[in-house]
This record gives sequence, structure tokens and C-alpha cells, in this order.
Amino acid sequence: MMLLGAAAIAVPLALHFFYRARYRPLPWAAMTFLKQAIEQTSRRLRFQEILLLLLRCTVLLLLAFAIARPTFSGSTAAGRGESVDAVFVFDTSYSMGARDGEKSRIERAKEAALTAIENLPPRSTVQIFSCADRVAALGPISPGNLDQARQIVESIALSSLTTDLLPGITEAHSALERGAGTNKEVYIFTDMQKLGWDRQAAAIRAKCDEIKQRATLLLVRCGNPERPVRNVSVVDISSPGVEIPHSGTRIPFAVLIRNTGKEPVRNVAVALEVDGKSLEKEGEVIEVINPGETLPVTLTAKLDAAGPRVVTATITNDDLPGDNRLDKIIVVRDQLRVVIVDGSPDTRDPKEASSHYIRNAILPVSSGDLDNYFVRVTVVPADEAGPGLLGVCDVCILANVPASSADRPGIPGLSKEFVDRLGEYVKNGGGLLIGLGDNIVPARYNQVLGSTGANLLPFDLEDAIVATADKPFKIAPDTTDTPSYLERFKDEPFRTVMADVDVMKLIGIKTTGSPNGRVLMRMTDQKPFLSSRVIGEGEVILVAGSLDARWSNWPAKAGSYLSFARMTLQHLTGKAARGANRVAGDTLIWNPTEATKPFAVRQPDGKRVKLGRATGGEGGKKLTVTATDTSLAGVYQIGIEGEEPLSGPRFAVAPDLRETDDLTSMTDGEVEQLLGFKPVFLQANEPGIANERSKREWTVWVLLALFFFAVGESFWAWYCGKAW
Amino acid sequence: MPSTLLQPDILARAEALGVMAKQVVEGLRVGDHKSPYRGFSVEFVQHREYVPGDDIRHIDWKSYGRSERYTIKQYEQETNFTAHIVADTSNSMRYGEGLQNKHEYAKLLAASLTYVIVKQRDAVSLRLFDSDWRAELPGSSQMRHVNVVCKTLEEAKPADKTGTGALLEQLAERVSRRGIVFVITDGFDDVEPMLKGLRHLRFRGHEVVLFHVLHRDEIEFPLDGNVRFIDLEGIGQLMTRPHMLRPAYLRAVQEYLKAMEKGCDVGRVEYVRMVTDKPMQAALGDYLVKRLQISPR
Repeated sequence: MMLLGAAAIAVPLALHFFYRARYRPLPWAAMTFLKQAIEQTSRRLRFQEILLLLLRCTVLLLLAFAIARPTFSGSTAAGRGESVDAVFVFDTSYSMGARDGEKSRIERAKEAALTAIENLPPRSTVQIFSCADRVAALGPISPGNLDQARQIVESIALSSLTTDLLPGITEAHSALERGAGTNKEVYIFTDMQKLGWDRQAAAIRAKCDEIKQRATLLLVRCGNPERPVRNVSVVDISSPGVEIPHSGTRIPFAVLIRNTGKEPVRNVAVALEVDGKSLEKEGEVIEVINPGETLPVTLTAKLDAAGPRVVTATITNDDLPGDNRLDKIIVVRDQLRVVIVDGSPDTRDPKEASSHYIRNAILPVSSGDLDNYFVRVTVVPADEAGPGLLGVCDVCILANVPASSADRPGIPGLSKEFVDRLGEYVKNGGGLLIGLGDNIVPARYNQVLGSTGANLLPFDLEDAIVATADKPFKIAPDTTDTPSYLERFKDEPFRTVMADVDVMKLIGIKTTGSPNGRVLMRMTDQKPFLSSRVIGEGEVILVAGSLDARWSNWPAKAGSYLSFARMTLQHLTGKAARGANRVAGDTLIWNPTEATKPFAVRQPDGKRVKLGRATGGEGGKKLTVTATDTSLAGVYQIGIEGEEPLSGPRFAVAPDLRETDDLTSMTDGEVEQLLGFKPVFLQANEPGIANERSKREWTVWVLLALFFFAVGESFWAWYCGKAW
Repeated sequence: MPSTLLQPDILARAEALGVMAKQVVEGLRVGDHKSPYRGFSVEFVQHREYVPGDDIRHIDWKSYGRSERYTIKQYEQETNFTAHIVADTSNSMRYGEGLQNKHEYAKLLAASLTYVIVKQRDAVSLRLFDSDWRAELPGSSQMRHVNVVCKTLEEAKPADKTGTGALLEQLAERVSRRGIVFVITDGFDDVEPMLKGLRHLRFRGHEVVLFHVLHRDEIEFPLDGNVRFIDLEGIGQLMTRPHMLRPAYLRAVQEYLKAMEKGCDVGRVEYVRMVTDKPMQAALGDYLVKRLQISPR
């Protein structure tokens, strides 16, 4: 239309040439004076003519512009009257659930989107996407169906994911291709959280630049810039002591809460429940938690029955509900079965046995109470350790056990069958603690259990290193790797008691060549002392020294040794629940035993999603069922499709806490700097969104310019003494 | 059939006013105009000594009684004159419609002057020119000469460019007897040669009157719209919007007119601007009245 209008500038040009052709002939005598006059005035006349022509062309051009109603932004943007292909991208990260005013951010986003839809010209289309750290097309099926688009907008739900705007912007760019019109607009409804822009800033900039070439980019700020969000997150639920959850006990849990906002939050009620049983809910009110402060709140929970249990911590009284709940699955056991393979048993004097101290450490009860204690320990000599033992144990401990009977003459070692089964046991989630001693031949260990054998050791072993009597090796608890289950040794009182241990001899650890191994703690001279390696779903902990008193006085340091034993036991048994505790966005994986029926997953909102049949199973591989849509935090349960209730495993999905680590929002200037151009900024709760399109028009300015040019033309025509 | 160029209303007033020579003219017979020759008329001029052969009737006996010397009284001789009407018939004179046509206006002026002059028994010669002489009638004071002049004027058709200066020079050489030269032209020629020709005539003792015949359009340039000006003397065409040129045109015309007036004034040529929108009766009448007022008698 604008082009058609612009073609009107042909009118004065045509008139110019038309009138040029229409000259009245006049025989004239005083031609000399005429020529003189023309010579004197021709340049001025030509200038006047050209200026007048330009003025008239400009007037018509401006008129054409005004009729076309052009807009300020977007090379393809046109007037208000033309249909628009709009793409809506909703930030559905859970920071959009913040209630920083009378309404939450997502409510404002929805209202703004509905207003935008209401103000779309006839025959416009809408495509709606939700975007957190991944994008989902929401519809409508027919982009021209604006009623359906309204319904979709009203039903948009938040996820428990973090913000990353790149996938949404990329999808919006692709969606622009599908619009048939030339007038395109991309609306991004977001709280402008810095995280969403910073994560992939360069790619966002490049993609937005591409969008700018083809459409108008409108950033709808949904947050309330005048009110910061008060937020407290439930960061973790952990066991503060060394308790191993077992049935029939009430054990303490530390609910870690953190103020991620910029204002103190008062009267935060923290509650803990197990399997959603509100009757057993325990709570505490925190009077105030300051910005950046992390507080552990210790609450107890009664564990009635064995099996995976969902422990849920909730808090109230802040502005952002998305991270106010954390579910965690813990495995509650009736019994904890530990098998200790003793490489130097001594039936006459059990104290001399290598298993003596470790056994006592994990059985901190009197002999009369052993039958009632939930930990059951079986100590077997190496020659009696058969693979069958591993089928009924949760943790296996090798105490000074030769890798094979051939390592030390007369000293029985591990059988080949046991070693083979041990590898499988660990991969399936079993825990293995290896303590060394005089029976160990490092080279043989490496051959049987190390990199050239079953490949169970975190690192290959080297020769033994012996300290002098007056200068024993010292453990350096400060070197404890974090995060790790031993990190409490960096803090008092564990730190002091661990540093007090004298180690007279240990086996060297070759830390190179094994990328999967991890040193957990070192000696003061940096020699590795404790190391670990995750293998499959299980884990191996290697002690470079001995678990008995032959090489160190560690067992005599009860505070250190006992803590280590309990922490290790708790850690290795806790691995059973590790795959069940995920973060939003993670894939849930379950290995069913049969694949005859299709599976489904029940999501936290109660919706069931079909997963299809299990895959794999051929060639000895495990059957696998995966659920990828875990955008909501809460408890998921997988089971056979159609069964009620589902009988498969439960998974606790936590919100992605990176979202609320930093709730800072970008300012318009920062966004403009990041993008390299100025998009259209809108505030969701302001009425400007309704008339934004007309505000972007040049029409008023064009009409104003038209007026001035018309006045200028009239004046100039008058001055030149002519009027067509 | 009387000529249309002789219009009674014009002639009646002009005849009453007459055309008197402002300076001495050389005639062949006694007339009303001063002659350079001394004769025996009524206007005393001087005494001179008698020489044998002089008519003794002219001896001043009163002077002889006082000085006993024979002296003769001389009186100013009065004679008739020959008016040379030189009219421009070049193409540039074609501009104007009807009575305001410069050519028609010039012819009317020439015919009226001829009638008035012949009527007072002075002689009139007529010369028509453009780039060359197109018609030449010798001087005559007979009334039938008026008809010949009128016929010649009626038959004159503008046909060529103007070459005023050179032709006036020729005229100055060819006419020896001093008289009055009426040059009727629009003057759209090179100014300097034209003034030179006029000065040459003046140098030869003629009284020279330049009737500068112009159309009002040529002076005030009141034209508007888109106009394709076609040069009447064939130089070419110019397409323009005249209202945009008016200031510059008027400046050029005024400079030209000032140059003409000044040139005539310096050369003691009487400059008479005749704008064709002024009726001939009034224009000629005004001129003759003015001439009468400044005439020596």
C-alpha cells in the first residue's frame, strides 16, 4: 500500500512534464531582453523549480507514508491495519511464578498476551511457545484460531526449570518462517531474569539480530521493577548425623534453606513430612533469614516402613513458590547387611583380625543388642568368600585381602568367581570399601582388581611407603575434596581428630592414568589417602592405609575412625536412592524386569504420560524405560500403563535451583547492550501494550511532516509566484 | 478612396498644431521656417557693407546718414523644410494586436506626420527599412504626395531583421540638405550602431526625432503561464514561465531604455517614446504640443 502511495509521486513529475509540453506560443520581438533575463535567472529558476518539484514529491511521498501507517521498528513491520503473524514466547521458568505485587509475573504475562491478541488486526495469526531451558510448542493447531490461542494462553503452566531464552528465541525465529504475511511480531513474555540472557548471550544476540531483520521484537517485562522478590529456597534435605535411615526410627534431617533474594524474609515456616503424611509433619518457624544466608533447620521424621520413602520439605511466606518444596527419596531399610572379607582373620584373638576395628565401628552396640540392631555384619575369611555372599549384602568390605591366593604363600586371597561377581555387584549399585595391609601385593592387586583386571580400583597401586617412627605420616583433612560425603572432615570436631591420626605405612596410589578415580583426602605430603570411584550405580572407596591398627593408630582415634566408617556406610547405602533423586529437566530412567507391557509415568500434577515399551534387553543389556518430560518438580512414578495405582519406582524431582540463585533482572539498557539494538520494551501490567502497535507508527510524525512540507510548498510556490 | 491611415480625428488636432522646425532648415522656397541663409525677410539680423551688384533697394539710408558708408540690412530668410520620415518595417514591428500593433502604429504615425507636414507646405520624403531600404519616396510638398506615401505605407509588410544603424549612416551621407529626420522604430537592434547613425544625422545638421514605438507588453512584461516565445526576427524560440523572469526582464528593458534616452540626449536627438496602447491622436497631439511649446517661435 505504501508502495502504491509512493507511486503517487509520479503525479507531480507527470504534471511537471505535462505542463512543460503545454507552452503557449507567442511571437515576440524583445527577445534580446528575454534572453538576458533568462541568463540572469536561469540558475535561480531551475533551483526554484527543482525545489518546488521536490517539495511536491515529498508531500505526496509523506502522504503515501501516512496512508500506509508505517512503524518505527522492524524492516517488515507495516501499518496497524494489516494482519500480523505474531509469535508468543512465554518464559515458564519458575521465577515467573513470583508474586511481586497483586499478581504473579505469569498472571501478568497472560493478561498482556490476551490484550495483545485482542488488539491483533483481523486475519492475524498467533503461534505460542513456552520456554524455560527448553522450548515447547503449545499451539494453536491453526495459527489463525485466536480463540484457541486465548485458551492456550490461559492454560499456560510454569515449570520447575531454569530460564534460558535461546531455545524459545530460536523456535520463534523458525516460526516466523511459517507465517504467510509480511507483518511479523515476536513477543517474549519474561521477567528478564539475567540468567536467561547470560547463559548463551552471544547466540541470543545473533538470533535476535536475525529476528530483527524480519520482524518486530517486543520484550514484555512481566516483573515488577519496583518490588524485589523475597525468596527462600529449600536447597537440600540431608541427614546431619551419621544415621542410616531404617524402619521404625525417627531420624533427624537437616533442611537447608537459603535466602536468594535481596531482602530479609521473616517468619519462614519450615515443615517436613514423609510420604505426604501431614499427621507426622514436623515444623519450625524461622524468625528471620537474611539475604544470602543459608540456614540448616533440623527436623525429625519418623520412618515407619522399609523401602523408598519421599521426604518432603516445604517452606512458606515468601514471594516465589517454585522452590518452596523439595522432595527427596530416601531408602529406608529394615536391615543393612554388610559383608567383611577378612584377609587375616584371627579366631584366637579377634582383635588381631583385620576386620576387628571396622566391624566394631559399624556395630556401635553391645553384643547383647546385636540381634536387635539393624546392621547385620557377616565376617568371612577370604577363602570362604563366595559370590553368593554378594547377593545378600548392601556393603562389602575387603580388609587386607590379597587379590588372589597366589599373592602371598599360605594366605588365602579372593577367588576368581568372587572377583567376577564383585564387579557385577558394584555396577548394580553395591558399595565396596577396600582397606589395604601387609597382605596386599600392589602389582597383583592391579592385575586382579585394578586397571588390568576387574577394573574396580579408583587408581592402581604402587609400592608401600613407610614412615619413620618419629615422623609418621599425617592425614590432612583440609585436602578433603568437596563436594563429597567426607567434607564434614574439613570442619570441627572431625577435622582435629582426623589430623591427629599417625600413619606409619601406606600403599602408594598412582593417580595418573585413571580418569574415573577421585582422591577424597590426602596426607599432609599430598599422598592420596582416601579415594573413590563410581562404577555403574555403585561406588568403590579405597583406603591407602589399613583398616586395622597395624599401619596406623587410626582405629584408636574413635572420633575419626568411627565417623569415617559410619559416613562411608551411610554414603554407600544411600546410593541406592541416588538415581531416584533428580533435578527438573533430567531424564528418569528405570530398568524393569520385563517388557511385555507398555509403561506410563504419573507426573506431580497427576497427569499420566505414556512412555511406551521398554527398550534394550538384547544381548544381556538391561531393559530401559525413560521419561524425559520432567519439567515439574515433585514426585514421579513409573508403572505399567493402565494399572492403578502404579507399582513402579518413584522419583523425586527437585526444582532446578540455579533459577533462584540469582534473581537479578536485566534492565532495558542491559538488554539493549546485549542485543546490540533496541527492541520494543513493554511493561506487562501497563496499558501501553494495547496501543503499542499504533505507538510504533510514524503516522503522527509523518502527518506533521506532511503539514510542514505542504506549508513550505505553498509558501515557496507563492514566493516563486506560481500555482498550478 | 481615402487611405485608412489618414484618420480625421488624428489629423484635425495635428493639423492645428503643425510641425515646426526647431532649428534652421534648408529649403528651396520661402516658407515658415528659419533658413541658414540670410535674405530679405522681416526678421533683421545684421548690417554688411554694400558691394557692387547688391540691390540698392536694400541699402540702409539711415545708416548712411549717420556713417556715410553704404551698408545693407540683412534679414533672416524663412524657408520651407523637407521632413525625412524613416520608418522601421522589420519583423520585430509585427508585435501587437490590432491598433496596438507596432507596425500599424508606426504607419499611422508616419502617415499623420506626412499629412500635417505637407498640409503646411513643407516637403516629406519617406523611407522604409528593415535590414535594407525597402521603399524610398523623394521629398514633395504636394498634397497628392500624401496619397503616394499612404499607399506605400499600406503596402509595406514586415519581412526581415532590423539593421537600423548602418542605414541611418547611409541616410546621413545621402541627404545633404538639412531638414528634419523622423525615425520611427522599435529600436530592437544594437543600441550603439543605432545611436551612432542618429548622431551622424545630427552631425550633418538635421534635426533628428526618434519615435521609439513600443508595445506595453514589451515594457512591463505582464505575461503569465507557460509561454513559448517565438522570435519575430527568426533567432529561435524560448520556452519559459515569463512571470518568473519579469524582474530580470524589466531590469534589462529599463537599462535599454535608459541607454536609448541617454544616447539620444547626448547626441541631441529628440527621443519620443510611443507606447502603442496610447491612441495616436493623443500621442501625436501631446508630442506636437510639446514641440510647439519648446519651438523657437
